[in-house]
Amino acid sequence: MSTLPGQVRLSWQDPVTGEQRTPLLTCPITLGREFACMPVELHGQRVARIVLNSSQVSRYHTLIEWVQGHIRITDQNSSNGTWINGVLQTSCHISSGDLLKIGPYEITLMFTLDGRGLPTAEASEQSIIQVPEPANPVPEEPAATPINILPPAFQAHQLVVQDLHATQLPVEEIDYLAVGAGLGSFIWVDFLRICGVAVQQIRALGIEDRPYARYQRLCLNSQIPAHERLRSNSDSCPDNIWGWPGYALREAWHEFNKGNMNPALQYLWQVFAEPTFAQTYTPRSGNVFASIDREAIRIGWPQIYRFGRVRAIRQTQDGRYAIAYSPGRKQTAFVVARHVHLATGYPVLQFLPDLKAYREQTHDFKSVVNAYEDHRHVYETLERQGGTVLLRGRGIVASRILQRLYEARQRQPNISVLHLMRSPKPQGNRFGKAQRLVENHFEFQPFNWPKACWGGTLREELEQATPEQRTNLLADWGGTTTADRRDWKRFVQQGVDQGWYQITFGEVTQVVPNTQARPTTYIQEKGLRGEVKLEADFIIDATGLDSKVKASPLLNDLVTHYNLPLNPAGRFAVANDFELLEMRNHYGRLYAAGAITFGGPHAAVDSFLGLQYAALCAVDGLVAARAPNLQRLNGLNSLRQWLKWVQNQTP
Amino acid sequence: MTPTLLGRWQTRLLLTETVGLVITLLFCGGTFGNPAGPIFFWLLQYIVLFGLGWDYLYIYIQSWRWDQDWPAALQWIAALWEGLFIILIVEVANLKLPGTGIAPGWHLGWFMVHYGLVWLAVFITSQSFMRLIFPRWRFRGGQWL
Repeated sequence: MSTLPGQVRLSWQDPVTGEQRTPLLTCPITLGREFACMPVELHGQRVARIVLNSSQVSRYHTLIEWVQGHIRITDQNSSNGTWINGVLQTSCHISSGDLLKIGPYEITLMFTLDGRGLPTAEASEQSIIQVPEPANPVPEEPAATPINILPPAFQAHQLVVQDLHATQLPVEEIDYLAVGAGLGSFIWVDFLRICGVAVQQIRALGIEDRPYARYQRLCLNSQIPAHERLRSNSDSCPDNIWGWPGYALREAWHEFNKGNMNPALQYLWQVFAEPTFAQTYTPRSGNVFASIDREAIRIGWPQIYRFGRVRAIRQTQDGRYAIAYSPGRKQTAFVVARHVHLATGYPVLQFLPDLKAYREQTHDFKSVVNAYEDHRHVYETLERQGGTVLLRGRGIVASRILQRLYEARQRQPNISVLHLMRSPKPQGNRFGKAQRLVENHFEFQPFNWPKACWGGTLREELEQATPEQRTNLLADWGGTTTADRRDWKRFVQQGVDQGWYQITFGEVTQVVPNTQARPTTYIQEKGLRGEVKLEADFIIDATGLDSKVKASPLLNDLVTHYNLPLNPAGRFAVANDFELLEMRNHYGRLYAAGAITFGGPHAAVDSFLGLQYAALCAVDGLVAARAPNLQRLNGLNSLRQWLKWVQNQTP
Repeated sequence: MTPTLLGRWQTRLLLTETVGLVITLLFCGGTFGNPAGPIFFWLLQYIVLFGLGWDYLYIYIQSWRWDQDWPAALQWIAALWEGLFIILIVEVANLKLPGTGIAPGWHLGWFMVHYGLVWLAVFITSQSFMRLIFPRWRFRGGQWL
């Protein structure tokens, strides 16, 4: 692709959504927080204005110009400065490949002074793959658009329930329906049961009977087996809405009963002093799943759950919602419900565009893998014959993969790891007076958001903010972080000292097979000094999950049919109590929770505690709407329900 | 804990004036072999009053922490300081707080036992019972109203 002199490719990862942005722009280019505060024209040339959402970015922050054969960058008297390759600059010439840092944004600038070609970049929309499904699911209808199999009644804005009965297909009428049947649904149903709703008033539709099945599969794929610990707080308990006793207390009690005083005291010390004086306590995944199993039986989840792929959701004329689903191959059935809760989770996995392109060209799904896919073969092969792994991404998943590779090295020392990061990380994000800790280019945070996002000052601030301010706040608090774990830091240090682990920085230009059909990554280093070639036996993409609602046919149909607004992050625009206000239908209420609401009133929507918060808000909203058999949970009533939880009695 | 200022105030007022008050009334009656008298009640009110001011300082310190949290360990350090502050006022600065001049008067040892027990009961309640009777409390930075 040929470019003109003065054309610059900016590339960065969006700190809110994690998406890759790679616009090719012509100078002059301005960067700032407010579109209207940046000039429309400079020296008679139209300006390309880029908006960066963050309170650390000034309204008009930086100017990039083409001046006498050079690209020049000038800070516009910004509050937090313009950093080039880690150095604060007011005005300077830049070279291709230089790293521009403005607030939480790290932007690589690529250009040629003579108009030679710049590497192409692919649109991020295409770089997704489906979340892996259970090994033996009920077979999916072959790619037929699900909407086509629906009766004509579903074309109406509000359908008539009698029309559903007229189809002779099964129709069930119920008070409460949870769509998804994953952890988000389970937690909402847990609240409903505890607040007085009976088993036969609730239905949950999904494709796996255990509510944590998909989450567990993603954990196992990303190398978190039952004895390993999740990145979750002690009192984030999906099995217990009160968060007490937390997992630390339970694990300490368990160890104490076995006579193991040391670990018992250690867990208690951790929750007492974390994160300042002790490493943050996190629960073992196996313990969390076992506790959910117990709660599922207690609240009657097996009677509430039904297998079904949900196809479409419509309002009915009598103030309810009609849901069409497939209970099996080529079958259709309907549920008509007064109150509906949507928690369908992450529709797709994010996959780096260059890696997706490699897989499409070569059909090699073994050497280039996503960390959330089943990729056991990688470790098996490495443990057998050794080899080199190229790891992409610097978050918690990358840390966990690194731990697994370290364990593989104990059996087969002939394994080396090349960790490819887009840019160095000299300093952490800033917000107000605080700054996030950085070490060895890893940015540390106990959980995926600052802790006060769940129930403290930051939760309140986000809830009260406007949609635009929310995007700024999420950019300031977000970004890729990992946990400050002593063992992980030790592995990195050992690897660096012994030479089997190496961090490389660069922008990937392409990934192609070499003559032995091994994936070869070409990266661009600073100043167009030429490409660097990295060869590896395996490439593991540990960059994350994507939750755009447009990626799910069901949600996309809902958004299109009812013309629903999306928030700036491309997810459902929900009210502060997680209701989809545009879907309100007389007494009927539709709520959402989880990843599909990200970018709204709550930051940590995809966490256990965030799901509990969303469910609590939704149930409080339903109590206010006088939903059937639902009572507000508080005071002695709440205490009584907790005592039932302790004794494992039905609510 | 990730308290907000309003949450700190509400939790402090509720727990000291319920759990803390019950223990204090026992002290006022001389249950523990201590000299009986209303001074324990008045001291408790000063602890609450000064505490409302300390909460302001703690929220400021908290804003320097990236996670804007307040671990249990910091709660203990803060409690030690608040107790020490009362001791400093009475023992070192020799200030006569209104209401504390009544017989039987100030006794350092009994103050430490009283204060220690009140704090322990408040801390344990905040870590357990509060969550059970106010399920929204932990999401609202300690606000229960």
